[in-house]
This record gives sequence, structure tokens and C-alpha cells, in this order.
Amino acid sequence: MVKHLLLSLVFVFSGSLYVVAQSNTSMYKSIKSSVQFFSETPIENIDAISKSMVSAINTSNQNVAAVIAIKTFHFNNAFMEEHFNEKYMESDKYPKATFSGLINEKINFKEPGSYKITVTGKLNIHGVEKVRTISGTLTIDPSMKLNLHTTFDVKLVDHHIEVPQLVMQKVAEVIRVTIDEVYEMQ
Amino acid sequence: MLKKIIFSFALLFSLKGWAQDDLLRTLEKENPPTTDHTIASFKGTRLINLHTIETLGKGSLDFRISHRFGDFSTGTNNLWGLDGPATLRLGFDYSVTDRFTVGIGRSSYGKLIDGFLKYRILRQTNNEDVPISITGLATMNITTLIDPNKNITGVDQYQFFSSRISYLYQLMIARKFNQKLTLQIAPTLIHYNLVQNLNDKNDMFSLAGSGRFKITRSLSITGEYALRVTRYTVQQSTLYHNVASVGIDIETGGHVFQVFVTNATAINEVQAIPYTTTSWQKGEIRLGFNISRVFGIHAHKKGNKDKKW
Repeated sequence: MVKHLLLSLVFVFSGSLYVVAQSNTSMYKSIKSSVQFFSETPIENIDAISKSMVSAINTSNQNVAAVIAIKTFHFNNAFMEEHFNEKYMESDKYPKATFSGLINEKINFKEPGSYKITVTGKLNIHGVEKVRTISGTLTIDPSMKLNLHTTFDVKLVDHHIEVPQLVMQKVAEVIRVTIDEVYEMQ
Repeated sequence: MLKKIIFSFALLFSLKGWAQDDLLRTLEKENPPTTDHTIASFKGTRLINLHTIETLGKGSLDFRISHRFGDFSTGTNNLWGLDGPATLRLGFDYSVTDRFTVGIGRSSYGKLIDGFLKYRILRQTNNEDVPISITGLATMNITTLIDPNKNITGVDQYQFFSSRISYLYQLMIARKFNQKLTLQIAPTLIHYNLVQNLNDKNDMFSLAGSGRFKITRSLSITGEYALRVTRYTVQQSTLYHNVASVGIDIETGGHVFQVFVTNATAINEVQAIPYTTTSWQKGEIRLGFNISRVFGIHAHKKGNKDKKW
């Protein structure tokens, strides 16, 4: 009995050690970030930018995660920014958007080059989670920094973001999101 | 034995699984949200006649048109006041920072030019660290009226320029209780360098209450009441009345449109709070509206284009 218990403990311990070791040696974290979105209609084009997204890539399991506080998006018109937070995104209720997924292609992070990748995972905006496959470009430069560039569309209805009829013609139903991240090994 | 091994493996895998899913949670834990200020306590920087705790974001230029029609009590022939006499205020507010706003305006009533400084002292936060918002307001008002009795009496009441000036100091304290309800109370001091009637006091103190209740995302019901606290004139309760107003806020893209009913003819607080002669009881109320158009002239757009980061 004691032996079994010990064995179990060893297993568990080695398992957690493994996890710790992996995460210590193969974690990339974002050092620069730019998230832009763009809404295009014949009447008005609206864009906003945030530089406050935090993101990480775990190379051992190719896990990618990102968190952004909605209120860090800035518009040219401060009034519009308030509407965005208050009426559409309900930022007091849903303060952040998140993504967590896995890179589908096997990437050798030690090999500089440019890789077309797809990431499948859970995109949570406005408190509504959607499973998405997002494609992008991962560039590993000789100094082993990672550059990630991706552009994808977010449909407002997918995330239960309602646009009042009054401004329906001014806000696009599909919002284009462009993300640029630079990662450095931790 | 086998059971134990399975148990061990299960534990091991659960740990590994936990580690994978946890990348997001680790990120979130490592980057706790910064101070999260409560937004949109009110839709606009004014509610009806009075200011709210709100200021606009840095670099916003707000062009404001405030209009009050004539009395309802003037009846059908005057189309219940829509024919006039109307009063108007045109004004510009500019937000120097997210907390500091300056503004100028001119009201037709009393030919009054006003300027104000408004500063957000405290902002309510969503985590309840700061339960209320506090904003301070100081206004200076100059009447450009020509004394109508000058030629008759031979005395110009505006002989000295300082006699044209009045001031208002207001401390607005507000709390957004939930997504729908916001209430505000504002101790207000008004000072006239030259009072209207012989025995009037130069200073008067008032307590103004404001509230808004959101019905839909773009529509709110609003209300204001200014209680005059100190005795500043002989005919305090007979000639003059407290200002009460109810209205709705309608909001579209870059505008806030406010329609309301009020007993105040004047738009500026220094005139409306102490010297409103019309009362609700006599039906001397009027329709009014405020339109606000906000221009974002602080362009960080250039920065976006020049550099990616």
C-alpha cells in the first residue's frame, strides 16, 4: 500500500516537475502588441486600436493564449469610445476578450523562417465563446523573437453584440481584426 | 496495484491537462486589470439645465445648442409656447485632458457670456474601491445687458464692470448604482457681485439633485431639482421658485439629444437657480432641448498610420 502510494506520489511529482520544466524553458511572451479593428460602411469607417493585449505561446504543447481589456481600445472620437464600451461591448460586465487555442501545424521554434499557421481554439468576446480556426503568419527571426500577424473577421451576431437600429447603417455587421504581436522567450 | 497505477496516471494527466488549459488563466492572473473606472454614469456632460459629473475624453470638442421654448400656459394661439419667446445658449466645451474641461458659451437670456472650468476629482471604479464620482465646477458669468433704466434714472447699474459678473461653484457627487440608475447631488454656491433687488444677499446656497434611469440602451429618463437652501431674497417663495425638470436623453452615434420640460426660462444655472419666476403649479413650464455634437480633434490617427506599434 505504502509502496503504491509512493509510486503515485513519484508519478505526480515527476508530472508536475515536467510541467514546470516545460513552462520554464519554452514559454514565449508578448513584448509588443497591436490589435486593431475596422468597421467599414458606406456612411462611416470606424477604427480603434489597443496596444495592451498580453499573449503567450507555450512551444512544448503549441498552446497560444491572449487576453485584452476591452477598455484599452482607443478611438479617435472619445464619445464613440464610450458608446463602444457602454452599449456594444458592455465592458463593465464583460471587461475582457480572451483567446486560447492550439497551433495545428508542428512548428520548430528553433528554426528561423516564416510559417503559415492556423490556430484552433476558443475566442471569447462579449462573454460569448466561439470555437474558431484563425490563420496567420508566424515569423521566427534569427534572434529567436517571434512575430505573429493575423487578420480575421468577427461577426457581431456571433457574440451577441447588438447594434441599435438608429446607428445600424454606421456600424458594419462584420468587424475586421488585425493583430500584430512580437514574442520573446521567457 | 493496477488501480493505483491508473490512479497515478489519471493524476498525472489531469495535471498536464490543467497546465495546458491554464496558459490563459496564468496570463490573466499575471496581468490583473488596471483600475477600471465606471463609465457612462450619465449620457452627457449636462443633464437638463445642470452639469453632470461627466467630462468627455481628451481632445473632444463639444458643440452645444440649448434651446427653451415659451410657456405652455400661453395657450393655443401661441402654440403652447412653441412660438416663443424662446431662449438659446450656444457653447463650446473642450476637454484638455480626460479629467479637465474648459467651456465658453453665450445665452440670449440676460445676454450672458459664460466660461467654466470643470475637473473630475474622483472617479467611481467598478471594483467598489471608489464608490462615488466627484467633479468640481467653477463658472464665471458676465452679463452684457445695457441698463434699461440708465436714461431715466441717470444711474447706470453697470457703471463698474465688476457689477456684471456672477460666479457659481459646484461640487457634484454621483454614484452609478447599476447599469440603469445614476443619482447625483450637488451643493452649489452662487455669488452675484451686484444683486437684483435691494435687500438680496450676494451669496446663495442651493442643493441640486439629478438622476437618470436607463430604459433602453439609447434612451434614458432624466430629472433635476434645485432646492434653494439659504434665504437670499425677500420674495424667496412668492416671486421665485425652485427649478424642476424632467426629460429624456436620446443618443445616436456622435450626438446626445435631450428633450425635456422645465419651469426655468434661463439656461445658465446662475440665472435659473435663484431667479426662476415661473412655476409648475401655474403651468408655466416649457419644452426645451439640448443638442450636443462631439468632434474628436485630438487625432491619434496619425500615430496609427506612422507606426505599427
